[in-house]
Amino acid sequence: MKKEIKIITKNWGRINPNQIEEYIAAGGYRALRKFVAEMSPQSVLEEIKTSGLCGRGGAGFPTGRKLECVASEKSKEKYFICNLDESEPGTYKDRSIVDNDPHMLLEGIIIGALAVGARKAFIYINGNYQKEIEILERAVEQAQEKDFIGENILGSKYGLEMELFAGAGAYICGEETALINSIEGNRGEPKARPPYPTQCGLFGQPTAINNAETITNIPWIIENGGKAYAKIGSKKSPGTKLFIVNGAVENPDVFEAPLGIKLVDLIGKYAGGIQAGKDFWFAQIGGSSGRLAMEKDLKLKLEYDCEAKIPLGSGAVLVVDKTADIHELLLSWTGFFRRESCGKCVPCREGTFRLWEIAKRLQDGEVSERDVAAIQDILWTLNNTTFCPLGKFAATAFSDALDNFRDEIYKISK
Amino acid sequence: MITVEKILLEFDPEQKNLLSALKKINAGFGYVGEEEAQKTADYFSIPFSKVYETASFYDLVKTKKQPDLVIQVCSGANCAVKSGFKVIREIESQLRIKAGDDFNPKVKLEIISCLGQCGQGPVMVVNGNVFTKVTPSSVDDILRNYI
Repeated sequence: MKKEIKIITKNWGRINPNQIEEYIAAGGYRALRKFVAEMSPQSVLEEIKTSGLCGRGGAGFPTGRKLECVASEKSKEKYFICNLDESEPGTYKDRSIVDNDPHMLLEGIIIGALAVGARKAFIYINGNYQKEIEILERAVEQAQEKDFIGENILGSKYGLEMELFAGAGAYICGEETALINSIEGNRGEPKARPPYPTQCGLFGQPTAINNAETITNIPWIIENGGKAYAKIGSKKSPGTKLFIVNGAVENPDVFEAPLGIKLVDLIGKYAGGIQAGKDFWFAQIGGSSGRLAMEKDLKLKLEYDCEAKIPLGSGAVLVVDKTADIHELLLSWTGFFRRESCGKCVPCREGTFRLWEIAKRLQDGEVSERDVAAIQDILWTLNNTTFCPLGKFAATAFSDALDNFRDEIYKISK
Repeated sequence: MITVEKILLEFDPEQKNLLSALKKINAGFGYVGEEEAQKTADYFSIPFSKVYETASFYDLVKTKKQPDLVIQVCSGANCAVKSGFKVIREIESQLRIKAGDDFNPKVKLEIISCLGQCGQGPVMVVNGNVFTKVTPSSVDDILRNYI
């Protein structure tokens, strides 16, 4: 195995997350100093573009291009939002970042916000993350004392205000337009795009919204240069990624691995392999909205690529062994999307509800011919007609399960 | 004594503070009732329906008085493969309730989405206290402290 490259996790377990001094001693805030002393916002954007960094929340949009869009807007008021509303089932990478190294995230936010010309940054954090909210509050306070946040950062002309905004438990608020609605005090329903938030976002102003993990990569890129970053990982999407491996593996945890890693290596080399005495059945990649990888897909590379057979999503990998009950999984997926559908559009609101009802009947063994026919209709409708991607996600795992385990799913029904 | 007025005064009456104010009222009173919502609407100078619209959307803000015992169990896929549903069925049979029922004034069993503690599932929350690695046989021990 090659030497491991650690970007995000390099300080994990080695520094106290509540002490800014320890982060500084480990080389922290050097990137910010470098930016303030010798770089212009344009050169930061250039470095990020060269690095090929793309969004780690699931969509994989090139971060450099997004930031550039916001930077090129003429509006005086601009916002930078760190999306920490992590609520995809099975995903807790952003929480781990805050738990272990909150200052690296803050440094990334500061550099990113200043590069696009924002004077106010928000951190939108999942309302259930009480402990992490406290850690971040403390971290922001310490950074203010050290002059990293506030007016005249490190004696320069740059100024930045940072506000922590805790969500209130809605999965859909991870979608960027819904997140904006939520901060503005509205229901967290997605808005039509365009206009994109980069032009007309929070309070109608240009807004850059990035996932917390994406932002955490920025300090390293500024310190070591975009070219060095582009050499790591796969060609299509460079860099490393946090993978959360769970389920029937020996050593479930959050791992940092280069993008482009094969699924089989992730499970075997990082997570310690399949638990003794258990048989690999399938793996779900990217949380409850992710597709299912069968045994034949184990050699697939995990990377952000719009043509990928299995999209990487949030990086959550759930390894399922043959003792699992497929009906319970169907109920888990459909129940989740039924609860979290925001209710704005009919196909998703009704579709997720009916699918959940059918999943319950499947578990009870009472499914009828009519249900079997309805499943196809509902899945098609969810996949093709919903307002935002949530509806599509709701159909993904169900369709995959139906394609692969049709017999198991209908076995108990007469 | 905490009052709605005192809580509201901590916030500037801008709409971006609405959700935070509602959450704080919810934390103080257990829910945001009609009276509290009306006071919030007056303070923010927005219609009552606007306050209710926002309050009713979010899981962490309740618009009805909650039962004394609220049990929540995660049913995310990670908890589901570790017999999360068996835990739910065990609670249902022990307390003779159904998950999702909303009419019992004393106890409620809710199925919730992921809390980000998947490594230690199944996760169960009783009146705000989180229990991890719950098994059908440990349900009894946990609930005994609350009944």
